[in-house]
Amino acid sequence: MKKILLSFLLAVPILGYSQSFQVNLQGQKQTAMGGAGTGVALDEAAVFFNPGAVSFLKKNGVQVGASAIFLKAAFRENGSNITEYTKDKLSVPPAAYAVFGNPKNRLRFGLGVYVPFGGAVHWDPNWTGKYTVTSLDLQAIYVQPTLSYKITDHIGIGAGLVYANGKVDLRRAVPITLNDGTSSTAQLKGNSNDFGWNAGIYVETISGVTIGVTHRSQVTANVKDGDAIFKVPQALQSGFPTKFTAQLPLPATSSIGLGFYPSSKTIIAVDANWVHWSKYKVLAFDYDNNSRIPNTSSPRNYHDGGAVRVGIQNMATDRLALRLGAAYAFTPVGKGYVTPEVPDANRILLSAGLGYKASERFNIDLSFLYENIKSRNETNIETNLSGTFKTVAYIPGISLSYKW
Amino acid sequence: MNSKFIFRSILAVAVVAAASCKPDLKTITPSKGTADFSRYIAVGNSLTSGFADNGLYLEGQQNSFPLMIATQMQAVGGGTFSTPFFNANQADGTGHMSLTGFTTPTPPLPADPIITNVPAQAVIGSVTVPGFGTVPLFTKYTGDLNNYGVPGIRLNHITLTYYGNVNPYFERLLPNTSPANTTPYLSFVTAKPFTFFSMWLGNNDVLGYATGGAATAADLPTDKALFTQLYNLAAGTLVKGGTGGTGAKGVVATIPDVLSTPYFTTVTINAILAKVNVANPTANAKAVFIQPGTGSPRAATAADYLLLTLSSANIIGKPNAAGQPYGLDPRNPVESKYVLDQAEAAVIVDYTNSYNATIKSVAAANGLALFDANALFKSYAAGREVNGAVVSAAYITGNLFSLDGIHLTPIGYSIVANEFIKSINSQYGSSIPTVDVTKYRGVKFP
Repeated sequence: MKKILLSFLLAVPILGYSQSFQVNLQGQKQTAMGGAGTGVALDEAAVFFNPGAVSFLKKNGVQVGASAIFLKAAFRENGSNITEYTKDKLSVPPAAYAVFGNPKNRLRFGLGVYVPFGGAVHWDPNWTGKYTVTSLDLQAIYVQPTLSYKITDHIGIGAGLVYANGKVDLRRAVPITLNDGTSSTAQLKGNSNDFGWNAGIYVETISGVTIGVTHRSQVTANVKDGDAIFKVPQALQSGFPTKFTAQLPLPATSSIGLGFYPSSKTIIAVDANWVHWSKYKVLAFDYDNNSRIPNTSSPRNYHDGGAVRVGIQNMATDRLALRLGAAYAFTPVGKGYVTPEVPDANRILLSAGLGYKASERFNIDLSFLYENIKSRNETNIETNLSGTFKTVAYIPGISLSYKW
Repeated sequence: MNSKFIFRSILAVAVVAAASCKPDLKTITPSKGTADFSRYIAVGNSLTSGFADNGLYLEGQQNSFPLMIATQMQAVGGGTFSTPFFNANQADGTGHMSLTGFTTPTPPLPADPIITNVPAQAVIGSVTVPGFGTVPLFTKYTGDLNNYGVPGIRLNHITLTYYGNVNPYFERLLPNTSPANTTPYLSFVTAKPFTFFSMWLGNNDVLGYATGGAATAADLPTDKALFTQLYNLAAGTLVKGGTGGTGAKGVVATIPDVLSTPYFTTVTINAILAKVNVANPTANAKAVFIQPGTGSPRAATAADYLLLTLSSANIIGKPNAAGQPYGLDPRNPVESKYVLDQAEAAVIVDYTNSYNATIKSVAAANGLALFDANALFKSYAAGREVNGAVVSAAYITGNLFSLDGIHLTPIGYSIVANEFIKSINSQYGSSIPTVDVTKYRGVKFP
């Protein structure tokens, strides 16, 4: 069991999916509740969901979890009768948290490691959109040390510094024919190391309703000196670059959440997220050699995206918690800008899960999330790739926690 | 503890989820509409035959647009489609150009392509045709035929009884050996019944005049009235569906503007002068002198077209007996065969427009689908993205034109196939699926 867990964590090609390349799988309880969790102090994942709520956790604990994303996208070119699918590519974004400090004190400490952005989309290397993209692997792991402080018995604030480690590997075909009749290819590979922050406030109102407001800052992933690997005809090789730089905004998210407690056994969480995707204007690559290809600047012109989420948790017995949730996410990708590396559209999310208290200290939580991304017929304004995209994802997840 | 069981359950769910994960798109049922594609024939010239890189060879034939269309028609009741392929052991056919490298010029001059000729494999001899001259003989093709594309054929050839003796591409499809053939092209293609046809004829009625620099009288464009008469005859004959047929529907195409092909646009005055002046800084060349069709030699202007063959001839600057450098001195101008001067170009444009007006009106009168190839190639002249690939009329790098600068690459032919399909679909209410352009290649680089 530990081995399996470990192998999940080591399976680095992370990434997933929810709203363009944003990933919302940071806690199994919250995932099972439609992704809501900003306005409740559920568990150690509050380090991510609301640093202000961390000081309200009744116990210290560590939590380790992961979700397995089974994602399949389909594309059919307009006029064609052939449907092409992405390849099976399992992504397993992990999330791990620790909360410590004396629960009786006002000041508590937290540490979170999670993946808020990523994607793993692999089309056939010879698919009809190969000149736009054949595969994208993207992951941003955030490490977030956090302080949470109870200003009063009913108001908590918290903030964390985010260190973001990014990794990107983008591949596509290049429309220059090699001597064997196949296309040339390009691979852009690089890393980034950047900083951001996450802050929140958590309030218990007199009516019993809890309220959370958070903001996670934008992190601009700067890839410097990335490897540009062009496999082109030998006669042209010297004109092609070997290095590139690029910038990718990982946008800020503002959230407000409410918690309702209709009985001592039931929690209802409601969230609204505002994702500041409008910062994502272009995807630009600057190369170190422009004699054969110019620097590229592909318009993205995203607008802000958002999601509304609702989830419920019910303690069926003293040991067993049942959870259900639903959400609707509004795509940030406008008409004409849909690209096959992120074939985004509005989506419906349905989730369920359970938690089992194996002992006073040891908990296991399972979740299952189904995402249905609406089908979308689009003609990209840059590439003229024209057709219908449709994507679904099935995401089971598990986490283990130990409290003291 | 039962965590093992839970874990196994999760894995089981995951496996089931992955298996059932495929998103569904609305099912498409292709329809033939009001047309019948059970026997499709392709009537036309080199473009129809799959000619590329200045030759007819197996790979080009396999990437001909009629074969692409016919393959797609099979989704809507199309029958088998036979192309007069060269045998695999004669795959190089009549021989063709191949890009084998690039020159390493003095900066800042651009590198020039090095093109070599792959020798013919299907030439089995030659024959002397009285009153015409020597004609090569190609390995005969016997067998079913749907692609009747004959390189070089002009509209005013389709009724000639002796044409099968002087065009070796036509001769290889006919039963008799030159000079014993008597079947005109139009009779040959309509000898068997068919239900659908494509006809793309007329290009050579103006092309020969253009590519030869308007230097040969035999290449003069076909008379406009004769063109109209013959185009009506061809369309009127084809809609009858051939001998024993009960009528056919079809698609015709306009003639592209040949002057926007790389054959006419690659060699420019500035490129020539830059090359001369870099090679010899004291040359100080300021003009390229040409021999126009009529009148005395003069400096070329941007309205004159220098042909691709001028570049491959590699004669600019070669002094004549009097020491005057070729093309750089009015007394030793670029010969007329390498130049399409402004007046000659105007003739080409005039005839092309007239032919296309005829093609459009005949198509309308016969209820035929029309593919406006002229408009299509104009739209690609400056470059256009196709599924993320830039396709333009640039020589070699543009992906659209093959090494001869006039005929298309497989990418180019697949774009043409799709435009034919779209025209057919819109005229007959059918839904023949389009081909995937990205499955085809451009010019092969070494």
